Amino acid sequence: MTKLRLEITKGEEIRYISHLDYARTMERALRRSKMPVAYSEGFNPHMKMSFASALSVGVTSEAEYMEVELSKPVSAEKVFAALAHQLPPTIAIKRVKEVVGKQKALMAMVNLAVYKIVMPWHGDQMEYVAKDAVSRFNRTETVLYVKENPKGNREIDIKKYIAEAVEVVVGPKGAELSMVVWITPQGSVKPSEVLKVLVEDFAFPGSFEAALIKRSGLYVQIDHERLSPMEM
Amino acid sequence: MIKLDPSFMGKVIKPGRYTGNELNIVRKDPATTLASFALAFPDVYDVGMSNLGLKILYHILNQMSDVAAERVYAPWVDMELVMRQEGIPLYTLENMRPLAEFDVVGFTLQYELSYTNILNMLDLADIPLLASQRSAQHSLVIAGGPCAFNAEPLADFVDFFVLGDGEETIKDVAHAVIEWKRSGKAGGKAEILARVAAIEGVYVPAFYDPIYHADGRMAAVTANHPAAKTPVNKRIVRDLDGAEYPNKPVVPYLDVIHDRVMLELFRGCTRGCRFCQAGVIYRPVRERQPQTLLKLAQELVDNTGYDEISLTSLSSADYSCLNNLVESLIERFKNQGVSVSLPSLRVDSFSIKLAQEVQKVRKSGLTFAPEAGTQRLRDVINKGVTEKNLEEAVGAAFQAGWSTVKLYFMIGLPTETDDDVRGIADIAYKVLDLYKTIKGRRGAKVTVSVSSFVPKPHTAFQWYAQNDMVEIERKQQLLRSLLRDRNISFNWHDVKVSFLEGVFARGDRRLGKVLLSAWQQGAKFDGWSEHFRFDVWQEAFRQSGIDPAFYALRDREHNEVLPWDHLSSGVDKEFLLQEYRAALAGGLTVDCRRGMCGDCGVCSGLGVEVIDWGEGRNDKVTTGDY
Ligand code: SF4
Repeated sequence: MTKLRLEITKGEEIRYISHLDYARTMERALRRSKMPVAYSEGFNPHMKMSFASALSVGVTSEAEYMEVELSKPVSAEKVFAALAHQLPPTIAIKRVKEVVGKQKALMAMVNLAVYKIVMPWHGDQMEYVAKDAVSRFNRTETVLYVKENPKGNREIDIKKYIAEAVEVVVGPKGAELSMVVWITPQGSVKPSEVLKVLVEDFAFPGSFEAALIKRSGLYVQIDHERLSPMEM
Repeated sequence: MIKLDPSFMGKVIKPGRYTGNELNIVRKDPATTLASFALAFPDVYDVGMSNLGLKILYHILNQMSDVAAERVYAPWVDMELVMRQEGIPLYTLENMRPLAEFDVVGFTLQYELSYTNILNMLDLADIPLLASQRSAQHSLVIAGGPCAFNAEPLADFVDFFVLGDGEETIKDVAHAVIEWKRSGKAGGKAEILARVAAIEGVYVPAFYDPIYHADGRMAAVTANHPAAKTPVNKRIVRDLDGAEYPNKPVVPYLDVIHDRVMLELFRGCTRGCRFCQAGVIYRPVRERQPQTLLKLAQELVDNTGYDEISLTSLSSADYSCLNNLVESLIERFKNQGVSVSLPSLRVDSFSIKLAQEVQKVRKSGLTFAPEAGTQRLRDVINKGVTEKNLEEAVGAAFQAGWSTVKLYFMIGLPTETDDDVRGIADIAYKVLDLYKTIKGRRGAKVTVSVSSFVPKPHTAFQWYAQNDMVEIERKQQLLRSLLRDRNISFNWHDVKVSFLEGVFARGDRRLGKVLLSAWQQGAKFDGWSEHFRFDVWQEAFRQSGIDPAFYALRDREHNEVLPWDHLSSGVDKEFLLQEYRAALAGGLTVDCRRGMCGDCGVCSGLGVEVIDWGEGRNDKVTTGDY
């Protein structure tokens, strides 16, 4: 059994598709590629594939990871070439590698995500107000946020998931924020949620609905070493 | 090009409905084409994406190098609100191009209750609603699909209709539009209408005038233009096997209904159920060759990556080479994780064997459609299903391991008595008992789904007075009181919806003002229970001075001029009348596919033939060397 790990980017045009839609899209692309993908047994066989961490609707990504099992050995280069032709124009494949040895599931492996957020320009005062909001947020020890869920709301402390101080630079397009977030077995926080708190509770300028959010990295952080799943 | 700002896309559910960029879309530079078509489905993306007719037209038009076809669906109410607030006109998904820039906007008419959405979409596109208000500078608004066979309620809004198979007609229309544009639109809109009126299968309502009797009934529909044909015959693809088929359809990202490969085995169905409009308007049966279907299936799987092939036709189990086809498909695709499914099962044990072979239906229950509760009434509607057929089919299903069965029925059929209604409950209990006899224990689940019969134009029951709402509700109550077993679940339809459907199905041109008025008062998405507002419709009828009962609840005279008499499916009115009389007498008519020709008029009238590749057919029909 050959297992391959793929690094994929998800572009601007399809930021509104859900994780399930994306998974189905990848499954279909794999089928079109005619690579010998392995299937589970049973009446409704499923393609053996898994993902690292679901991306929220509206977010683009430069760092999506998935694994797929093959029933016959095929080289990573060959799979790359076959799949690259079959992806819709808004999804691209960056790297493919074979997973050697026994490794944890991708989902259990990644524990850190980096996001870049662009908030459209919001007047002359933006730079000062933005920096002030971020620095107050960084200095606050506990930031409570109510996660809304159809099954009941849950209050979390956002700061528990913030791995590094949020950074902001203001350029011609607006404010660009960098956020580093822990992904834990108990959950995580969405970049849109942090942004919402920044706007609503810390007076960050702009409307959070207008922000463009991108996942720029997904990592395995062990002590002080930060590795991409492709380096594991 | 329309730009969508992320700040308002966050406000709508399923924003992916409005952003396009799917696999296999065809995006042409408008500057390089001579004619552009916006293919419109008057309901949401998730519903409209599965429509085979539009996929076919999209494929055929985009195969033409100087023509571009793009898609558009009705925005859901949340997106409509955003669009109206932000001043975004309705646009297509390929080039995000406003609809008003297209030469032709073509709607498919699948359901009467989507008519208000057509008006709403035109309004969102800033295209004048009334055909009479649109000049040569505006888009031509056209429509096709089953409801076009009674085009009259939409006649005020649509420039022309396309009757029957669209494969060839749409090309002729595209050529006519190109020529007209090349001439600098000489002669204006009147000229293009005259040109298309000459195309077989095209109906230009402005070229006809309805005349009414003092009592409101129709006296005549007369042509007022030399290009107007009387009647307008439907267009028909004689050689379906050789017809173009969309082998590279757009694959959505969103989870839409029927999200799978659709393989059309044949067109038409001649089983002759007397309530069924599709069985008339798609006549005669024309099959594709098994080799053609295998080749198409391969191309479709290769181009889409779907994991399921659905064998779609009006009654797929009737395909002459079904066994071989299913076996070949399963064999060929099993290693790619692709399964085969049948959307409808015939009520017989053959179908159960087949269902066992295909995997997808395994997990779900099986669905059968006896349609009526007693043999007498099934004979009236010419549904060739006996109690024994049903027993065998359901028995075979239970033996094969299924325990969930869904049964479809109708109430309100001609000659129906309360005994027939009770017969529905009897069948449900018999099915439960059958399970117990076979398995030695209880445990079957039966869903009884009962719709209310709506008489449709071009059927044997087109003269019949639909049961009124009180009567249907009474019958629903009767069934509810009888189906009180916890292993039986009972579904029924909203009587108001069926009533309105009946009014528009057999309506005439005067309903145009009701439609306009209802839309002005907010009617849209009438097919969605959460949006259906009967009070608005009642008010619209009242304001227009039109009694809806006149259309739905009146027994029509056999010699009455019907609003759709000038639109022909090729089946003679006399044949339908003969079928109506046979129905009242409980007489059966055989399927002409493999049995005797019933002389309905289609084959001789339109110069077509039944095409069926099976053995043992009536020798009147040519086989093999077609
Ligand atoms: S003309 Fe005869 S063979 Fe042709 S569809 Fe009608 S009944 Fe069938």
